[in-house]
Amino acid sequence: MKNIAILSASLLLISSCSNEFEFDFSFGGSEPYDSNFKDAFVSTYKPMESRPILFKSANIYDGIGGELLNYDLLIVDGKIKEIGQVISRSDVEVIDASNKWVTPGIIDIHSHMGVYSAPGVRTSSDGNEATAPVTAEVWAEHSVWTQDPQFALALKGGVTTFHVLPGSANLFGGRGATFKNISQNTIQAMKFPNAPHSLKMACGENPKRVYGNRMQSPSTRMGNMAGYRSAWIDAADYKEGMSEKNPDQRPKRNLAMDTLMGVLDGEILIQNHCYRAEEMAMMIEMSKEFGYKITTFHHAVEAYKVADLLADEGICAAMWADWWGFKHEAYDMVQANIAIIDQARDGNGCAIVHSDDAVGIQHLNQEAAKAMAAGNRAGFNISKAHAMKWITSNPAKAAGILDQTGSIEIGKNADIVLWTGNPFSVYSRAQKVFIDGALAFDINNPKIQPVTDFDLGIINPTTTRVQ
Amino acid sequence: MKSFKFILLLLLSSHTFSNSILLKGGMVHSGTGEQAKLQDILIDGDVITNIGNSLIIDANTKVIELNGSPVTPGLISPMSNIGIVEINALDITRDDESEILKAGFSIYGAFNPHSTGIPWNRSNGLTGSITSPSASYFPLFGLASYFVLDGNLNIKGKKDIAMFGRIGSSSGSRAETLSILESLLELGIQSTNMPLEEVLEMRMADQLELQAQDIAALARLVKSNLPLVLETNRAVDILQALELKKKYDLNLVLSSVEEAPFVIDQLKASNTPVIIDPMDNIPNSFDELGSSLELGKILDQAGIKVMFSTQRSHNYHLMRQGSGNAVAYGMSYESAIRGMTKTVAEIFNLDKRGSIEAGNYADIVVWDSDPLEPSSFPKLVLIEGREQDLSSRSSRLTERYTNKEDKPSSYKH
Repeated sequence: MKNIAILSASLLLISSCSNEFEFDFSFGGSEPYDSNFKDAFVSTYKPMESRPILFKSANIYDGIGGELLNYDLLIVDGKIKEIGQVISRSDVEVIDASNKWVTPGIIDIHSHMGVYSAPGVRTSSDGNEATAPVTAEVWAEHSVWTQDPQFALALKGGVTTFHVLPGSANLFGGRGATFKNISQNTIQAMKFPNAPHSLKMACGENPKRVYGNRMQSPSTRMGNMAGYRSAWIDAADYKEGMSEKNPDQRPKRNLAMDTLMGVLDGEILIQNHCYRAEEMAMMIEMSKEFGYKITTFHHAVEAYKVADLLADEGICAAMWADWWGFKHEAYDMVQANIAIIDQARDGNGCAIVHSDDAVGIQHLNQEAAKAMAAGNRAGFNISKAHAMKWITSNPAKAAGILDQTGSIEIGKNADIVLWTGNPFSVYSRAQKVFIDGALAFDINNPKIQPVTDFDLGIINPTTTRVQ
Repeated sequence: MKSFKFILLLLLSSHTFSNSILLKGGMVHSGTGEQAKLQDILIDGDVITNIGNSLIIDANTKVIELNGSPVTPGLISPMSNIGIVEINALDITRDDESEILKAGFSIYGAFNPHSTGIPWNRSNGLTGSITSPSASYFPLFGLASYFVLDGNLNIKGKKDIAMFGRIGSSSGSRAETLSILESLLELGIQSTNMPLEEVLEMRMADQLELQAQDIAALARLVKSNLPLVLETNRAVDILQALELKKKYDLNLVLSSVEEAPFVIDQLKASNTPVIIDPMDNIPNSFDELGSSLELGKILDQAGIKVMFSTQRSHNYHLMRQGSGNAVAYGMSYESAIRGMTKTVAEIFNLDKRGSIEAGNYADIVVWDSDPLEPSSFPKLVLIEGREQDLSSRSSRLTERYTNKEDKPSSYKH
């Protein structure tokens, strides 16, 4: 007790001095507080075995706006090794890709696979901890069912990476996480390594309906706003408390505050479900009030009304090609939404096509095709090579993994799809899908088509579930 | 990329304004299942009068050059909420459910020609819709009607043309549902031999709180060949439905049928048409474990008549993307076109609709490219020979927000 008294007295003296001297109070356990708990639930993902592969004479969309016709692509040790008009290698497996198309693996920034698994029964409903408006303490990854049959279907549609988010019942829904599309037995083994967490936020009708119906706050949009701001005030306070060098003077650890603090520290990326233009502008205002960044607005049906603002702020928008009418805030749909965002400020917008749907995720290439065509009908001039960004490099950027994947560039993960035809056509299918250079799906080889535990022997014990 | 140009030659006679149109040189998919052909279509007033090459026209005919653009009949949705639901999440804007009426619940009186879903779907090539009540806990939801999507307050269509229902998993037992369904059909039969009051007093009718409208509708099912669209998925449930069809001589249509591949022979033998959502390959319930993207192909190759629905509310035109996916997975192209057009008209007895054939109403869509590609879009939509405006709230908002003038958006119109 006496020691503590002396120490406390010392601290008081020191803290009242000027900042000229930095003292290191390293008495056992006084590490700076890491709200992100970098050692907790880390990815244990290991790529499957792979061989070097040379794709010959492929038509490539590189995912960053480039179109390379009749090019060779070499992948070695799970990485993109070489891209050239002619690559001569005789010692590797060769895939004749002539008249076929190669793209980066498709990335869906908004998925509830695993947390709203199929079959969609009551016990599979793990995506919304709708018991309080602020549940920043929950992590969507903890709800994931690793045997969800939907993963394999998305892989067949060319999706190699997806971001799982909590739902939108709450103001702060909880942490989201990025996954490799390889079903394993543990969540950790599916997690994308070195990928940041996200924090799901929701504007608008959903939170105010869920809690308003229970005669709780929030029941209005203004109630929503007050809810977020109050939480940020608490978070700022917590962050300050956690910056105390003496752990004994720090507040008790709080999971929700850890998450919010992670946002304030720039380590956790905000993924914000928001439909209305004015709400997006308010959310941006609030982010400045508390000194954090919004990474992406999701659904963003009215994003086109504030496209310049989003481009100026460097905020991405993840949208549907044409969903509308299911809610009042989804009434003002325009098919050119994605294109308008993309083309804002001379093409400096960050537009993403997302699914939020287990059917949609299988056909993101088709959704992008619709969006591109609608944009061109509205007067833009968007090429297929450019539109490919919307389902590859842009979602990679929004998920904080662009340094690792999302484009066909030397050194990046060999997450590759070989298509039977141009990926923007409804008739094209993913022929082969590679994750980290390993063949994860082969349309012609049933042995290289993943079958989750749920699919095994169901309906007929001697077969696998038809997909 | 070819460019499609329209050259409109409007030739006015000195006396009258012409009602005659020649759609010249389009790649015509008639909707009958035949191979598409480069053909001209001659329209007089609201009907197609002739199809072929080198058709004889007069000076009053408006000639529209199509330069090989694909042409199809106007698409018809076999099950939708068009006109009776404005916003799903807002009960006050929904007219698709009844608490009091069951088998006899008719949505006809609720149809709103001014619903925003109509211009949107019409501009995407949908010219007709069979609008149906939504699923309820009761095995029979009520009666659907066919509507022409011209947005006219003078509503054109056909009232109460089919009953919709469902058998499958429920909070109770589906065996009970099947049993109740049989009882309902029996009531329908009995109602033709008994005064209505007596039928309504029968135990089952009383227990289920059936109304006069319900009894009348049930009678139509068993006596007047009213089509019954039953949603069902599980293989054995499909067989149960086929048994009911046989026993009561029902004009049965099955919808969803995700496990049809397991009972394809029985389906084929029963000559039962189906409505499918070809993109729904998710095992959403324990009844749908057999769902697959190959459903359309399997049904088509068995010679079963296939129509298309979509889960996407407000976007019923997306059955086009669905049928495109069905073709990608092996369904024949012309079966896909037929499934969105003539098959619907045939199965639901929509007189003179659904195909480009002489004598039919001129409900026609000219497309900017392959109509089964989701990126394509209509260039021209005719309903009963009248060119439709392709504006919608969506197109108006697009115009406003791509207008770069420096003034508040509210002044851009």
